[in-house]
Order: sequence, then C-alpha cells, then structure tokens
Amino acid sequence: MKEKTVSVDTDLHPYFRIYSAGNFGEVAPQRLSPMSWSLVGDPMERGTRKLAQRLWGRPAWTEGSHYVFVGYFGCRPYHNLAAYCHLSRGIPGLSANDVTDAYFEGIDSPAEITALRSGRTRRLSAATRLLRELRDIGPRLRALEERVAELEWALRAATTANSPIALFSVLRDAKPVLEEAWAVHILTTSGCVPIRALQQRVYGRLARHGDEIAHWLTRPRELVWDRLHTAAATMDPFGPGDFLDSSFYEVADSSDPWQDYAVRHKLAANSGTQAAVAPIEPSEALAGMLSPWRSRTVRSLAVAVGEVMAGREHSKSLAMRTLHIYRRLLPELAGSLGVDPGHWPYLTIREFTDLATDPGLAARALPRIAACRVALGTPMPEHLDLSDGDGTIRPWLSESPQTHRGVAPGIGVGVAMTPDGELPDEPVVIVCSSADADIAPLLPFAEGVLSERGSDLSHIAILAREYGIPCVVGYPGAASLPAGTAVSINGSTGEVNILDQS
Amino acid sequence: MNVLILGGSGYLGAAVAQACAASGAEVRVLSRSGRAIAGEAVRGDIRMPRLGLPARELARVREETTHVVLCFGSVSWTSGPGEALETHSSGMRSVLTFLRGLPALRQAVHVSSLLALGRAQGRVTNRELYTGQRFRNWYEYGKYCAERHVRDSQQDLPIGIVRFGPVLGPDPRGGRPDTEHGLPKVFPHLLAGYPVHLASRGDFPCWVTDVTSAADLVWKALSAPIGRSTWTWFDPARPTLGEVFTEVCRPWGVVPKIVEARPLGRFTRFIGERVGTPRELADYAEPWFDLDPGVLDDIPGPWPVPEADYLAATGRALLGRAEREIGV
Repeated sequence: MKEKTVSVDTDLHPYFRIYSAGNFGEVAPQRLSPMSWSLVGDPMERGTRKLAQRLWGRPAWTEGSHYVFVGYFGCRPYHNLAAYCHLSRGIPGLSANDVTDAYFEGIDSPAEITALRSGRTRRLSAATRLLRELRDIGPRLRALEERVAELEWALRAATTANSPIALFSVLRDAKPVLEEAWAVHILTTSGCVPIRALQQRVYGRLARHGDEIAHWLTRPRELVWDRLHTAAATMDPFGPGDFLDSSFYEVADSSDPWQDYAVRHKLAANSGTQAAVAPIEPSEALAGMLSPWRSRTVRSLAVAVGEVMAGREHSKSLAMRTLHIYRRLLPELAGSLGVDPGHWPYLTIREFTDLATDPGLAARALPRIAACRVALGTPMPEHLDLSDGDGTIRPWLSESPQTHRGVAPGIGVGVAMTPDGELPDEPVVIVCSSADADIAPLLPFAEGVLSERGSDLSHIAILAREYGIPCVVGYPGAASLPAGTAVSINGSTGEVNILDQS
Repeated sequence: MNVLILGGSGYLGAAVAQACAASGAEVRVLSRSGRAIAGEAVRGDIRMPRLGLPARELARVREETTHVVLCFGSVSWTSGPGEALETHSSGMRSVLTFLRGLPALRQAVHVSSLLALGRAQGRVTNRELYTGQRFRNWYEYGKYCAERHVRDSQQDLPIGIVRFGPVLGPDPRGGRPDTEHGLPKVFPHLLAGYPVHLASRGDFPCWVTDVTSAADLVWKALSAPIGRSTWTWFDPARPTLGEVFTEVCRPWGVVPKIVEARPLGRFTRFIGERVGTPRELADYAEPWFDLDPGVLDDIPGPWPVPEADYLAATGRALLGRAEREIGV
C-alpha cells in the first residue's frame, strides 16, 4: 500500500488564497522550521483573529480551523495578502493599496470579495476601536517588557541551577508572554497603516507640501534598538541584547538544515561622532511656518504616528527576546524529555510541551523531517496564488511594474558597503538584499540605505527615519553592487544613481 | 589660484565666476547644465557621489583646485522640504566630504543667506546662527542647515561664510532677470499695479545688495582670505523694502501700491494672500530681524561698491530692453 504523503503545509483559506511573503520575506529567514513556525505563525494568527474580533465583531471569514491571516507553505512563512487587503477595506478611507504599499512592496492587491464587505457603521466603529487600542499600547508594552525581563531572569536562575523543572516552568510561563508580544506587534503593525493614511490626508489639507512633510516629520522619537545594542555590548548571555547575536524568527538556528537559512550578522560599532551643535529638526522648523493650531495638529499627528512605529519596533524586539528564551530552553529541555537533539525543530511548541505527559508525540518528528526535506527542495515564490486549490504553486503576478521607492527622505551619497563589510573611511551607503534591526549599529555611520526588499513601513524604513538617513527600497541588485561603488540615493523620489567611474 | 565654483551657472554663481576670472584666477565652473559664462565649464552634480565627475575629470579637479566657492542650491522661497534640503543639507554634506579630499585646498567660501536667521530673536551679528528663531519657509531652514554643516566642518576645513540678503541687479548672464523665485517674484505683481500689504508700508531694511558687489565680496573672501570667519554684506545705504519696490518700479513709470491697513492688518493680509499676493512676500511683510549694521566692520577694507542705481537697473532689465533704448 502506498504511504500517504505527509506535508507540513497549512490549510488554505476557503476564499482568500493569495499569499505574500511580504514583510516576512524582508526580515525572516526564507524557510522556518516547524517549531519556529509554531512560535511565530500560530500566535500571529491568534493575535490577528482576536484583533479582528475586537474591531469588527466576529466576521465569519475569520473563523475556522484553518489559518486565516498567515500560511506556511513549503516551510516558508506567508501572510495572507488577500485577507489583509480585505481587512484594510474595513476601515473608512483606507484602501488595499495602502496595505500593499506599507508591507507588501507595492504589489497589486487581489480583487475584493464584495459579499464580505463590512457595513459603514461597522467600519466607523472599527476605526474608533482601533484608535482606542492604539492609545493604550504604551502601558501594554511597559508591562510586557517587565514580563519578558522576568522570564530572562528566571532562565538565568534555572540555567545556573541546572534544574530541568525550573526550565520547564520558564517554558510554561513564556507562552502567554509570546502571545501578548505578537498581539501587540499585530496591533501596532495594523495601526500604522490607517493612522499614517490619516496623517497624509490631514497634512494635505493643513499644510503646503503636506505629502512631503509627512515623510520628513514622521520619526519615532526613540527606538528600542539603540538600548538593546548597548545592552548587547555587555556580552551578558542572559541579558536583553543577547538575542541580537542570533537569527531573528528562527529558534533552531544552530540545527541543520535551518542554520543554512538563518540570517545572522551583527556588527558592534561605537557610537558616531556627534556634531558640536545638534541641528534643528525639521519638525521644529515647521513650527514657524504654520499657524499655532495647524502646527499643533501637524506635530501631534507626527508624534502619534512616530509612537505607533516605535511601538511596533518595541513589540517586535520583545517577541524576539521571548523567542530567544525558547532558543535557549528548547535544546536544554529536549534531552530531559527524551527527544533526539536533531528532532525538536520538527515538533510544534504544543507537542513539545505535551511531551512530558505524552512521550509518544516525539515520533511525529520523523515524517516531518522527510516532508521538510522535500519542501526545502521546492522553490517557493515571493507571492503565491493558490486560488485554484489544486496544490499547484503559482506565483501571484503583479501587473504594476515594481519600481524602487524612497521610504525615508533625503539624499544619501557614499560608497556601497554591505552590512557585513568593513567600514571604509569614506561616507557609506549600506546596500543589502533586505535589512532588519541588526543593522541599527551601522546606521549612525551611514549616509543612506539601499535595499532590494522593503516597503513604506518596513522595519528598515522606520529605522532609517529614526536615524534621519535616506532609504530606497525595491532596487534589484543592490546587494551585489561591488563594495566601493559610488552611489547616490534620493529617499524622497526613489531615484538611484550609480556612478560609473570608468 | 585655481577656483572651483559649485553652482557657477546660476545668477550669483555666474557673477562670481566673472569676478574671479577678471581678477586673474583660473576658474572652473561646475553645474548640472555644464554651461559657464566665464572659465572652464564642467558638467557635474553636487547631489552625486564625487560631484558626479568622471574619474579623469575628478582626478584633475582634485589635483588642481586650490579655492572653492559653494553657491549652489535651490533659491525658491516656496519649495518644499525635499527640494530645499536636497541641496542645502544633503548636498552640502556631500560637498564638504569632497572638500576634505582636496589636497591643495587653501580656502573655501560658502555663500550663505541672511534668511538663515529666519525670525531671529534679538540683535544678531555674524556670530549668531540659531537664536531660537522660527523659520518662515523651507528655504530658510535649508540655508540654516547648510550653514550649520559648514560651521561644524570648520574644525577640519579652511572654509569661511559670506552672508547676503536678497541679491538684485541685472542678470550677469544676460536676458530678463528671473522673477520665479525669491523677492523678484513680487515685481511682476507690483508692476501690474496690484497692491501689497506691508507693515509700516515697508519702512524696514531688507538688507539687499547688488549682484556685482556680492560677487566682488566673494572674490575678496577668497583672496584676502576670509579664513574661518563669517562676513555679512549688504548695500551700506540700507534701502528699505518700500524703497526697493519704489526704485524697481520707477523705470516702468509705476508707483507700487504699498498698503498698510493697520486696524484690520491680519485680515487684509489674509485676504491679500488669498487673492494673489505672492506667497514669497506674505512671509516677509513685517520687519525681518534686527541685524547689527556694525557687522560690515568685520570685512576688511576697501569694501566693494554696489553699482549705482542697481535697483532701477533691475526694473529696466525687467522691461527686457537695453537701457539706451528706453532713454535712460
């Protein structure tokens, strides 16, 4: 009898079947182990469902045993592009393009399923509820950070005492913390889009050059990454910055084959030389150009958007710190629970936790190892069209041509340097295929960032704004530019000039 | 002396190129258009790496240049932050990096603007740049950023600063003066007989100077040299804004309609802005800042002398005819 083929893929949504690696593709490894998926995709799905329920009641299409907002195909994590685009239409004044521009590199949005459209009243109440939720992210994040720190201390104590029971206790306590971290991340990520659209609309009414001003003013006042990179410099293995030396999202980044996909680079750099007198910020300069009430409105909105962006980065850092706790815990506990050291990445976190009472669950890893081997050999496109439901992998083709776009304003001129390269004496423009918070220590030294991947609200775009340097994304071949090539980027228009020195 | 003029195809840059060439310097003018009315023209772009110069040209410029004049950048008072900061902030930083790579550099001069002082508080001299002021527009902020970057670079670069107010006079490149940007944008409005609203009917100094004396001062800053000092130059006669408008309109036989409706000043100004007063003027309808006239004493003598009657010459140039033709 022929053995049934095992797959690690998640089930498809009945209606929404266009998926995109989108923001995952920019920051997460190309492929995730089943364990990492269960620590990333599952809580993300739960968090998004809960948010959708709080904002729109309980829409029928967000229910069911299948995944709605995320997907795991060929060991690659995806967002459900169609579902997110549909969500965006549930907020007044927001369109699907706002979402694709913000997080999906500006690709075309799938056609709307009008039968599932929310009523006007429901859309208005959803916007109100979303604003109310965003108002409370500060206290939520502070409380969450305390819980993450407590987990790190508990892990330090359990490891020092070499107590499997204490380690298991940390594993149990980490679950709600991780879920809360992803829930806040989903909230801030979702909230960035409508609040930014509102900002642009209000600026267009209140100020000349409103669209430009939005780019120049919207800067998070303080991002968490500086603090974490400073903490990482202490080399404390249980400190809050230790996770920066690991691959984000992948907890099995030391196990084969997942370590091949792990993106791991960290450069510790000293803080840059500060100018003797700090120049006035554009937001301060704007104060004299507008009447007092206009100025207050414009600056308040800029602060609000900046704070939501900062909250997004903060929540992501907390999720990564919690994942790092799992990264430390799981290999330690695997031996105690009788799991082969190479097998735990193929279990889900729920199966791993239940091993204490049901040791037979460890056997589930074996068929998944074979399934993952097949999946890893299958090329997976950035954007997936699974609308036929026959299991055929087809890329979702965007009809609009993809162009490079400026996501943080200004002109950056310098020589190309990859994030793992040596800092030359000249001003540099960092060139990369995609970038995450791991390049934060380099940004004070850079004149700009040129990335192959990215969107308006990518982590790298937010970071570049924080550091006041221009950033252009969507430039093919950026990472392969030879080091030392003279590059000029315009973060306002997306223009890129590569100077031919011949 | 080998002078590289960045932005040398513009209104003031062209006059500076002429002044330098007339004084016997070897002049190289870098501009996006690749045109120059004096000296050697080089096509480049300060927004590009290494000024956008091909390798051979770059090597030649690096080797030969001993003096540099920085007079590039947007001159629009109504541009947005992108346009203003593109050249004045990002471009300036890029240029300063370039200057650090010039082995023979002896003196650079940054042409700044008094408008970088915005609505400066208190009496200002050459020393002040930021006094907690507010900026009227992105141009002022851009010029502030440019001067800020230059001041920060003075530790390792021999660069001085010369500040001018609005620069008027016939265009050294010939043709009709540009009335698209800055104070000259008001002239067509006035010449057409439309009123403008000015506090005290424009009886406050506007620190104008003529393009020839401004160019002479830049040459003086290069040759004296200025070192790392800041000089401010304006017409020592200190014509008021009202006088400037009157003089520019005189060749046209037009008396500018300068209105001050004090009881309803804000209201009439608001209406004026809505019905056609150029935006450029609306921001400058009240006294600009309190500049200490003694700043001129920082410039070693002899001072350049502004062309006689340069304000009326500006008006005549706007007529588009030579002075002889209109019987002046």
